[in-house]
Amino acid sequence: MPQYILNRLGQSAVVLVLVSLIGFIVLNLAPGGPMSQFALNPGMSQAELDRIAEQMGLKRPLMVQYFEWFTRLFIGDWGHSFRDGRPVLSVIAGHLPATLLLMGTATVLSVIVGTWVGVLGAVRRYSVFDTLATVGAMVALSIPTFWFGLVAIFLFSLHLGWLPAGNMYTIGDRSLGDYATHLILPVAVLALVNVAIWSRYMRSATLDVIDQDFVRTARAKGLPYRRVLTHHVIRNALLPMITLAGLQIPTILGGALVTETVFTWPGMGRLFLDSLGYSDYPVIMGILMFSAILVLLGNLLADLLVGVADPRVRLG
Amino acid sequence: MSTVATYPSFSGRLAWFSNPTLARFMRHKLAVLGVVMITLLVLACVFGPYLLHYTDLSIDIRNRFSPPLTGNHYLGTDALGRDTAARLLNAGRISLTVGFFAMLISTLIGTLIGVVAGYYRGWIGAALMRFVDAFLSFPSVFLVLVLAAFIKPSPTMITLIIAVTSWMEISRIVEAEIRSLRERDFTLAARMVGASHRWIMFRELVPNAIGPIIVAATLTIANAILLEAYISFLGYGIQPPLPSWGNMLNAAQQYLGNAPWLAIIPGLAITLAVTSFNFIGDGLRDALDGRSDLK
Amino acid sequence: MSQCDDSEKGNSLFNPTRRQALAMAVIGAAGVMLPLGRPSQAFAAAKAAAAGQVIIGLSQEPTVFNPHMPHIEVDEGIHWNIFDPLFGISPSGEFTPALAVEVPTVANGGISADGLQWKVKLREGVKWHDGTPFTAEDVKYTLELIVNPEFRSGRRAGHDLVRDITVVSPTEIHWRMEKSYAPYASILSWTFMVPKHVLSAAADVNNAPFNNAPIGTGPFKWASRVAGDHIQLKANPDYYGTLAQIDSVIFKYIPDLTVLYTQFKTGDIDVTAMQGITPDHYEEAKGLAERTVVVLPVATVESVALNLERPQFKDPAVRKALYLAIDKKTIIDELYYGLVLPTETYMPQQSAYYNPNLPKQGFNIDEANKILDQAGWKPGAGGIREKDGVRLSFTNSTTAGNQIREQAQQFMQQTWLAIGVEMKISNLPPAVMWGDYWMQSKFDSAVVGINFLTGADPDTRDYFGSTSTSAKGGAGQNTMQYSNAKVDELLAQGASLQDVAQRKAVYLQVQEIIRDDLPMLPLFQYTYLRGYKSQLKGFAGNINLRIEPWNVNTWSWA
Repeated sequence: MPQYILNRLGQSAVVLVLVSLIGFIVLNLAPGGPMSQFALNPGMSQAELDRIAEQMGLKRPLMVQYFEWFTRLFIGDWGHSFRDGRPVLSVIAGHLPATLLLMGTATVLSVIVGTWVGVLGAVRRYSVFDTLATVGAMVALSIPTFWFGLVAIFLFSLHLGWLPAGNMYTIGDRSLGDYATHLILPVAVLALVNVAIWSRYMRSATLDVIDQDFVRTARAKGLPYRRVLTHHVIRNALLPMITLAGLQIPTILGGALVTETVFTWPGMGRLFLDSLGYSDYPVIMGILMFSAILVLLGNLLADLLVGVADPRVRLG
Repeated sequence: MSTVATYPSFSGRLAWFSNPTLARFMRHKLAVLGVVMITLLVLACVFGPYLLHYTDLSIDIRNRFSPPLTGNHYLGTDALGRDTAARLLNAGRISLTVGFFAMLISTLIGTLIGVVAGYYRGWIGAALMRFVDAFLSFPSVFLVLVLAAFIKPSPTMITLIIAVTSWMEISRIVEAEIRSLRERDFTLAARMVGASHRWIMFRELVPNAIGPIIVAATLTIANAILLEAYISFLGYGIQPPLPSWGNMLNAAQQYLGNAPWLAIIPGLAITLAVTSFNFIGDGLRDALDGRSDLK
Repeated sequence: MSQCDDSEKGNSLFNPTRRQALAMAVIGAAGVMLPLGRPSQAFAAAKAAAAGQVIIGLSQEPTVFNPHMPHIEVDEGIHWNIFDPLFGISPSGEFTPALAVEVPTVANGGISADGLQWKVKLREGVKWHDGTPFTAEDVKYTLELIVNPEFRSGRRAGHDLVRDITVVSPTEIHWRMEKSYAPYASILSWTFMVPKHVLSAAADVNNAPFNNAPIGTGPFKWASRVAGDHIQLKANPDYYGTLAQIDSVIFKYIPDLTVLYTQFKTGDIDVTAMQGITPDHYEEAKGLAERTVVVLPVATVESVALNLERPQFKDPAVRKALYLAIDKKTIIDELYYGLVLPTETYMPQQSAYYNPNLPKQGFNIDEANKILDQAGWKPGAGGIREKDGVRLSFTNSTTAGNQIREQAQQFMQQTWLAIGVEMKISNLPPAVMWGDYWMQSKFDSAVVGINFLTGADPDTRDYFGSTSTSAKGGAGQNTMQYSNAKVDELLAQGASLQDVAQRKAVYLQVQEIIRDDLPMLPLFQYTYLRGYKSQLKGFAGNINLRIEPWNVNTWSWA
């Protein structure tokens, strides 16, 4: 087991180096750059732009820049934002809670709804409900999230005026209810896709379990159906879902990014888009690295948890 | 998104094309519906523009923001008074083409890397698969945006960007497939008669893994269409005056309150196309899966 | 990014003896006289404690709070409320004393007749927000910091000529200029004083804590910031000038214009500043109850900049024909809902140097075709004209994502095709567009909004002087690569002349020549659409600045 973990950590480290290289190369080889936003400021000339770039260390050879940035990662220095000069880690930390709130709420909601829909669909296989759920999930996976968000804003904010069109809270009113009304639309939009994914996997996992011997035995013993379902079927079907949860992190993160941009949610997705607009390389790199670490950790944890939860799975 | 599933392997070439498979596919109602919808959509995009009263570029600024069913503007007009129907169909040509070629390129990249990694294993395989992991470990939206934000946008560039960020799933599937196929008898036989590695990889192994590749490719088109729409929606993708479903949405965003149809129509088109490909992919998976039997 | 993200620039040569003459009247929405804001004002009679709050919506996020580091215009909304310059500039273009007791001029002995010796007397009893007294040492520190090679300074032009800064007393400072540099007064009017005792104590001034918790002398103190969301300022009860009546000012970042407008409608925000209201919402916004919507002219002029080194644009006949074939009226009336000001020149219409007698462009396809025919441009393949192997085909670029501008672009594309000219649209992400592509003249043509002036001075050598082209090794932003000996001569003359009337004659002539040469095809002068709750009093634009919330201390709730 420790050997396995070490192996996995080693692999993850290699992946992280590759991620940082890919990100760095893409950013720095592209034309334009952070100076362009100042190009039309009063009194600006090429010489002044060159001086500022020089002072920011952008005129050094790329390899030098990369190695300096990379070695500093290890002492927890992820660089400073080009915009407000704050350390990248605290910039990310500042935007993380909003994203976690959105992702967390949406994930909890979609796990609950998705499990219910999936199990019910499996139990009543090929019923009208099952067919509708299957087709519905396929369509939900096909709707562009951002467009769905736009339509929701048009309908519920502009047209009906029921819900706010964006933001996380109203200034001066940060009550729970206020947060809740701001959460409804983005969570609904983000959860739509996740419910679809979750319910489909839950359905097939349940189907795998439902025909197994121990379920038949339990039913033969005369246990109530509901009890069999909750104690035997769902518990066992949820097991593979742990891995899925780990694997789904990139999708959920990507979905959150898209949702945040439509609903002007002040989280990581918004930060990422803003940083792109201002060519804030350190923050862009920081977010890429951060999400990669999150994904790798998620995968690793999922693997380990499955090992813990199911002794039959031998790791290594 | 929904490609995590186990793929069976097939012995014998062209097995996937044999009648039972086709029959299974034809029994999959949603898949057939998908084929019908996508065929209609493609036909409409190819021939539709010739049947309309307006071209997608004819500007008529005095009649801007006409709602649908105004005169011969079946779907209304946009902010420059251009016919929405004509733009929608021409945008469809671009969006579907981008999706199709992005799929083609990413399938090629994915298959190539998957085959090499699965066949050679060892350090080559390990290195390649870590590379795959690296690409997989940030949401592709992040990577696509980083690329698109700093590169001069053109349909070719956008196609390449999407392709470069969506080949990983395919190579994972192919790698797993090849890894098991290479231990099979026919591979051993081929090796024994002295076939070259290249021959074995591309003449023996790939044709036998074609089923899962096709399924994954179908789903890749669906995702590529969504990705194109999203980056164009953010203004980093296909640039006007060339229409794409995504940049039609981008242009419509500002007028959401006054001219909602400009936002609703292209979104429906995207949903329709993507749903169709997802239906087809699902049907193909079931049809190619020998074990599944639709009752 | 913004309709005027690409605005403002210009290094004007401007004579200290007549700075007060630069009048730029500001037209309010209904032509009302705007209240003067900022420090020069008489003290508020009643010293009632400030109360209440105002929420200002911005579509870009202010992130740079050290006013001397590279920043964009939205950041200046914060600077103006936290910091003070020695003297500011009013909407009508007059300098108004702030930290200085009076604006130095040759007449009052503040500036020597040759423009080299400067003497500035400072206000007594001014305190920094942390209670430390403000003195001449702070001024010296600020002026030196800006040119300190260790410091990542946003703009050094002008300050690099300052020599021998001498602190005569805590309230008096002298310096010498290396050479007479007229625009320096104009530059000083937005040079904010920063505290020596805070910044000099920082280990690395580029990453000083001050940069994220600024301390100034201004009417508002820094309170807090939630990155990506909002910034809060609190009234400074010890301010030496007009005391703020509103206690709490919140700058709320709302990245989407539709959401910004929706929140203005619902009353979640009190003022829409930067980006404000889009033209298509103007009619509706005007009708909103208890909301006031104003159209504020700004100094930014939208034009099609032509790269004159491209063979297509070398022939003046081509430029003339292109200009004639722009349906300006339709662009302005339909796409911009008639809210921007048609113009024939780079000079803002509120400037005293504006030339109102330039020939008016009229949309005329036939005339344009005739000009091209006569100049020998014959239709070739695909109906596109050509001459001596040069096809009248070129690309046009601008920031990708600027909706209305893209519509105007596509509209011009259509009318130009009618005269046998092919324009290909190739829009770029902002980081690419305003990088080397623009600065090193790698574009064919571009749609761009530029403020050709610095403050109120009419000098535009940076844009039209033949030595200001970066691609030819010059320093400036003549990216059109315009070169006209007569204009060079006139611009030099205009900068050296003392008399306003004589100067005006020169600049009227410059505008005439440029209207005739058409290195850029002028489209219109921008206006900002801004909205605020009608009970809010005191909101006013300032055409000489880059942002509106510059005088929040004079705002009040009715």
